[in-house]
Amino acid sequence: MKRLSEERTKILFEKLAKYIGPNIKQLIERPDAIYCFREQKDRVYYVSEPILKMATTIHPDNLISVGTCFGKFTKSGKFKLHITALNYLAPYAQCKIWIKSSAEQQFLYGNNVSKAGLGRISENCEKYQGVVVFSMSDLPLGFGVAARSTTECKSADPLAVVCFHQSDIGEYIRSEEDLL
Amino acid sequence: MDVVNEILGNSSKESNKYKPVTVKKHLELEYDLGTLLAVDPNDFNIDLYSKNPNEYFLNLARDNTQLLLNKLWELPTERVEEAVMVKLPPPKTALPRMKPVPKPRPLTKWQKFAKEKGIQKKKKPKLSWDDQLKKWVPLYGFKKAKAEKEKNWVLEVPQNADPNEDQFNKKLVAKTENVSKNDLQRLRNIAKNKNIKVPRFGTSNPEVSSAKDLKAAITIAKASTASLGKFQDKLHKEVEAKGVSAITPGASRKRKMTPLEPENKLNMNIVESILNKKPRLDVDKAVAKQLQTNTFVENSQQKQGTSKGSQKIKNKTNKKPKGSKGHRAGKKGGGRKRR
Amino acid sequence: MGRKAKFDEGVIVKKGPGKKAKKQKDPIFPKKLIASDDEPKTLSSHQKKRLKKREEKQTMLLEKRKSKQMNKGTKGTKKVIKPPLKATNDSKYSDSEESLNEGHVQPVKTRKKKRGFSDHNNEWLQPKKQKTVDAPSSDEADDSDQLSEPEDNNDDTVTMEKLSDLSDSEKDQEDDNYNPDSDDDLLPIEKQNAKLKQKQLKEDQDAEAELQLNISNQVKFEFPSEVDESNDPKSLQEVQQRIREVIAVLSDFKNLRDNNHSRSDYVSLLKQDLCTYYSYNEFLMEKLMQLFQLSELLEFLESSEVQRPLTIRTNTLKTRRRDLAQALINRGVNLDPVGKWSKVGLVVYSSQVPMGATPEYLAGHYLIQGASSFLPVMALAPQENERILDMSAAPGGKASHIAAIMKNTGVLFANDLNRDRIKAVVGNFHRLGVINSVISCLDGRKFPESMPVFFDRVLLDAPCTGTGVVAKDPSVKTSKDEIDIQRCYNLQRQLLLAAIDCVNAKSSTGGYIVYSTCSVLPEENEWVIDYALKKRNVKLVDTGLGFGTEGFLKYRHLRFHPTMNLTRRFYPHEHNMDGFFVAKLKKFSNV
Repeated sequence: MKRLSEERTKILFEKLAKYIGPNIKQLIERPDAIYCFREQKDRVYYVSEPILKMATTIHPDNLISVGTCFGKFTKSGKFKLHITALNYLAPYAQCKIWIKSSAEQQFLYGNNVSKAGLGRISENCEKYQGVVVFSMSDLPLGFGVAARSTTECKSADPLAVVCFHQSDIGEYIRSEEDLL
Repeated sequence: MDVVNEILGNSSKESNKYKPVTVKKHLELEYDLGTLLAVDPNDFNIDLYSKNPNEYFLNLARDNTQLLLNKLWELPTERVEEAVMVKLPPPKTALPRMKPVPKPRPLTKWQKFAKEKGIQKKKKPKLSWDDQLKKWVPLYGFKKAKAEKEKNWVLEVPQNADPNEDQFNKKLVAKTENVSKNDLQRLRNIAKNKNIKVPRFGTSNPEVSSAKDLKAAITIAKASTASLGKFQDKLHKEVEAKGVSAITPGASRKRKMTPLEPENKLNMNIVESILNKKPRLDVDKAVAKQLQTNTFVENSQQKQGTSKGSQKIKNKTNKKPKGSKGHRAGKKGGGRKRR
Repeated sequence: MGRKAKFDEGVIVKKGPGKKAKKQKDPIFPKKLIASDDEPKTLSSHQKKRLKKREEKQTMLLEKRKSKQMNKGTKGTKKVIKPPLKATNDSKYSDSEESLNEGHVQPVKTRKKKRGFSDHNNEWLQPKKQKTVDAPSSDEADDSDQLSEPEDNNDDTVTMEKLSDLSDSEKDQEDDNYNPDSDDDLLPIEKQNAKLKQKQLKEDQDAEAELQLNISNQVKFEFPSEVDESNDPKSLQEVQQRIREVIAVLSDFKNLRDNNHSRSDYVSLLKQDLCTYYSYNEFLMEKLMQLFQLSELLEFLESSEVQRPLTIRTNTLKTRRRDLAQALINRGVNLDPVGKWSKVGLVVYSSQVPMGATPEYLAGHYLIQGASSFLPVMALAPQENERILDMSAAPGGKASHIAAIMKNTGVLFANDLNRDRIKAVVGNFHRLGVINSVISCLDGRKFPESMPVFFDRVLLDAPCTGTGVVAKDPSVKTSKDEIDIQRCYNLQRQLLLAAIDCVNAKSSTGGYIVYSTCSVLPEENEWVIDYALKKRNVKLVDTGLGFGTEGFLKYRHLRFHPTMNLTRRFYPHEHNMDGFFVAKLKKFSNV
């Protein structure tokens, strides 16, 4: 467990900003406890400080996970968000998409969201902005990237892709092995 | 007669002083004259030993030595410069070595390789006939050098080569290069066999160096300025080499001190800098926005128009409608779905 | 002038190779570069530390051993051997009694107590009738021990002698061998292992001999027509028929028996039939026959064949049970609360969608978990802001339950040895939104080294033979033998001691250890607890579960601590959940 270097912190926050915008501040400064980002084996964990201190008693080789895993840094230096970060992305999301129950399954198997499956979309969504996908009953299902802005969506073809799939909660069973 | 008696008495006295030359033994000794060795197989007399061990040993040793010398005298003797010499027979007993058996010389890198590949060493003749010079030239040595000089008094300038280049010098350089390369190889072999650490740097053979070495070299070179590389710009996607801090000027192997400011504050600063970035002109976004306002305006106009009933007339001209270029205003932009 | 000619030298003798041919000398290297092999390597600081620790440990051990040996004399006399008076009685009317033959000591009177618990009746919903004797503190326990001593062998050594005379010496010895505490308190595992192995070998031989004897008996004697058997392969129905008949005979042995055959003949016949019918191996069947009475055994075996109903646990971190039930009913799932004892459990009767793939499942609103798995966590009763350790957490069901009860406060260490299974823990925790966890992959026995007296509570769901969950994994029926069980309980003992060492007795809220297994064998349950009670400063306390059968006080030759009735056993045929064992310990001193 080590602190993120400044460059990596920047990369991480830039990524997060795509999804939750200025709400990152609320992740950093929380009223309940001090939370921080830590890195181990290129994975980034978000964890409260007291827990982190206790975790240091365990040898890093044997430490599998602490707190919540947000994602990992790829070999090429980019940051990849994992589905495990959804717990924090969903409540703070800037741009949300609600999909119809008929399209739920499609999305949970890793497919993009087409306009036909689109139930609702938040007002000011820009093109290529990170979006969090919800079911109509407000269940967070995953996240992706808006393929069109809100206005474009209105005029789009019913088969046109509205949101590119990035990650969904189906991964918990589809790829449990490489969740971390 | 007194004299005679005296002499006889003296000699007998003297002979009494010495022990007799003959020694009686129950069993014969075993001899190996080549190593002047005699082995006494007789029983050890414990009675005598317990009485006076020193004397017993002394006597025993004397007797056996006497026997050994008797045996020596049996060998054919010769006289060299007034000294009696005996030629000893070859030794029968094998003596153990004083020093350990030398280990075989460890193989050099090439020898090892050749052994693996089964390459046999070819014996080169010491002299070879030179057709040009019409004489026998040795494989090496001053005569060979002389012959070379005689033979190569002129050198061809290869095509595409710089005509001003000194070909002789070039050849000389190549030769010295080769010699030093061999020498380096020799040293390497020795170092390897003696388990000596060879320093990592200082070898700049382009054939051996790798990307990793290059990275290390860059890192070190950058730090090797008067200000320890403080003002050196970073290259695009440059990665600092790891594990070279020991030989990089100004680098410490210890972990850097964490900044004194609390982590939260630092993170906040980074977030601020990200969020407050000046937005660059995003064409797509601008177009989308424009479209949205347009459609909004149009829709409102349409609504107004229909209510007034003047919309239809407004667009009508005397011109003939053109089918292919038709541009139906109603479908422009988003608007209500017509399905 | 010129070079001086050497005319006096006749022949020039060449000495060795010429000057040119002389070998170049090896270069001289600086000394620091030469890495000498023979020079002893200096130890690194870590190695030094380890060496020091090792030495310290050894000296400690030696001292301990010495002191133990000093104490041994007194201890030996202290040991109470209850049984053998009864043995004579047994032999007297073993035939007339309704139970099994002498070798199989039936689980004590506690088992005979009425047990009306099942899923359908509500008896267990009532507050449990507490035993008048509360969990005694250790001192009390000791006192009672000493008090009971004279009662058991009401005279002194004279009676002891008598007793030993009565019981056959061989068995006595066996008992001694079995009891690990009698010979050495240190428990050098190898020693015990060797002993057990020897014992097992002997047992095997005995069993073989017995088997031979039985076969010859059966060939020689003819069973009465109702249990007449030939060696022909029979259909399962016939086997079942015969099982029933033999049981009928055994239940009224005096009247229905055939005079030519002893009870043991009948029992061995029954055992074979049961093995064929339920496809168990003989060893496990024998164990089970020792554990249960005949009627109960059949019930157990039958219910072990059937899968328990599918139960799910609501993740209270994300939703409430009512909301979840509503959402699932909308998806066409037929469910009910699991019972009043749990506020988070739901039983699924039927479902149109796979329960492990609904969006609610993926969003972490519930997880599929056997009803029995709720029990250890409920017994542990975690509090908020505590430090809790789950020693073998995979796949994380119980651990996430703990986190849910703690409401994501405090810290939860979830550990498992298996690196592959730990991935399931990671997945489940993230899915369920557990954020106060530290997931590690360590040998549980190493935990006290790094964090001694650190935790407020520890849950040890020990790895076991799984004889309680035969329905889930039928391979247990045939794959287990003596060695497996022995391995299991040795590991369990070590883990339990490690768990106890991790707990801080001075914790204001906690200091509890919950030990659970999914096995029904007393070797892996009561015996392990008994061992821990002897080795560490712990006492048994009430589990707080309102139902379940009490643990055994004695089992065959083993006599357990009198407070063992505070532990709870669960059986598939009685409680409609997997076979399970739960014990709750409180550590009362850190020394």
